[in-house]
Amino acid sequence: MIELKNVTKYFQTKKGKNYILKDVTFSIPSDINIGILGRNGAGKSTLMRMLGQIEFPNRGKITTDKSFSWPLGLSGGFVGNMTGKANVKFVCRLYGKKPQEIKKIIEFVKDFSELKNYFDMPIRTYSSGMKGRLSFGLSLAFDFDYMLIDETLSVGDARFKKKSKEALLKKIESCNILLVSHDMNTLEELCEAGIVVNNGEMVYFKKIADAIEEYNKINKKVK
Amino acid sequence: MVKRNAWRIQKSVIIALFFRELNMRFSSGRMGLFWTFFEPFFQILIFVLIKIALFGKNSSDFDFAVFLALNFTAFNLFKNIVLKSINAFKANKALFLYKQVKPIDTIIARVMVEIFITVIIIIIFLAIGLYFNFNIAIKDISMVTFGFLLLITFSFSLALFLSVLNIFMDSVSKLVGFSMTALMFGSAIFYTIDMLPLKVQTILLYNPLIHLMEMIHGFYFLTLDDTYVNYNYILLWTFSFLYIGLWFYIKLEKRIIST
Repeated sequence: MIELKNVTKYFQTKKGKNYILKDVTFSIPSDINIGILGRNGAGKSTLMRMLGQIEFPNRGKITTDKSFSWPLGLSGGFVGNMTGKANVKFVCRLYGKKPQEIKKIIEFVKDFSELKNYFDMPIRTYSSGMKGRLSFGLSLAFDFDYMLIDETLSVGDARFKKKSKEALLKKIESCNILLVSHDMNTLEELCEAGIVVNNGEMVYFKKIADAIEEYNKINKKVK
Repeated sequence: MVKRNAWRIQKSVIIALFFRELNMRFSSGRMGLFWTFFEPFFQILIFVLIKIALFGKNSSDFDFAVFLALNFTAFNLFKNIVLKSINAFKANKALFLYKQVKPIDTIIARVMVEIFITVIIIIIFLAIGLYFNFNIAIKDISMVTFGFLLLITFSFSLALFLSVLNIFMDSVSKLVGFSMTALMFGSAIFYTIDMLPLKVQTILLYNPLIHLMEMIHGFYFLTLDDTYVNYNYILLWTFSFLYIGLWFYIKLEKRIIST
């Protein structure tokens, strides 16, 4: 269970406060994969970051007994001068992994990301696709109750995309995901329920199809 | 996932950051590494030459090269802790993506890296001193060590205070850069305070760093002592910086993470 209690979040702009959430009290049920929908700038990523506890509400509280991954985006927190391997090692240490576990994770990420010799090269020599593959492989190596995914499914070429989707499907057998995406097919495929973020409010839908319908309605209104 | 307690989480974060910082230093090109270890040698060489040119070879009753080595090691430790920490929040911004990484951990890790490098430099100096028969005898090793610990605490407190200040004012790091040169001349590094005229002494004794330097070399050399050191004054500055720095840090931690 993830509970939001009187949560208000806004960003200060020159023309006043821009509300993402306005006094929202809400509980998100556990053990379910949830897609988060909303227009650009509606606050999907902010909501995600708040759940990952690296962004904080202006008022109110978010409580949960679940563990969350870092928000998986493209290549966050990598050091350009360090090798891919050294970067993976760093994240393992952050999570207090023991030397044998670190060894295993490094093997897994090297294998999954298909970086081969580049794995021992500084990250600054990587293409953006390679960085994406590394960070996706890395995120699969850890166990959380929830993975926070911010549109990272589209890394690499067609073959790698297919491979990562399969890996993710396997991964969500043992954990849940909160997925921000604009790709309705991906959402329908991976998520059962949906949350639509709009105008400072959150609306929960038991079926992802209903959430998508609502999202389409909102989009039509704007046009 | 196994739940870990707060101390264990922070411990693993600091260890991870420490190795990451070391790795960054050592992978950023050979010249950087070279200067890390040889900068103090050049500083000492230059000042020994100046001193010989001005006052001739034997004008003090302690080994001047050893005196410089000790003082520059201590001063560089102070300088590097402050200068490296002040940009730690900005440099590690991307890491706040991982919720267990708190901004203050990045400062602690950088301080630890500086201490580690200083220990290596001290070992190199001792080895050279022994090999070339310099008089490196220490009068009171435990008080010298204690002096270094006080210096580290002082530097960390100042570094934390300045890093927080640096969030509001961009120019803080520049100003600190300038003041380091002034501090180098005003902190009894290539002289002792009793060599100076009384008027200059009174002014310089307002500088807390000079007390720390006087303490460290006062307990190192047989012929020197800590007459001028005001320990309460050192502690007053240290704890003021620490208190104000921590107070603001606690208020601003979330803001540092999310902006």
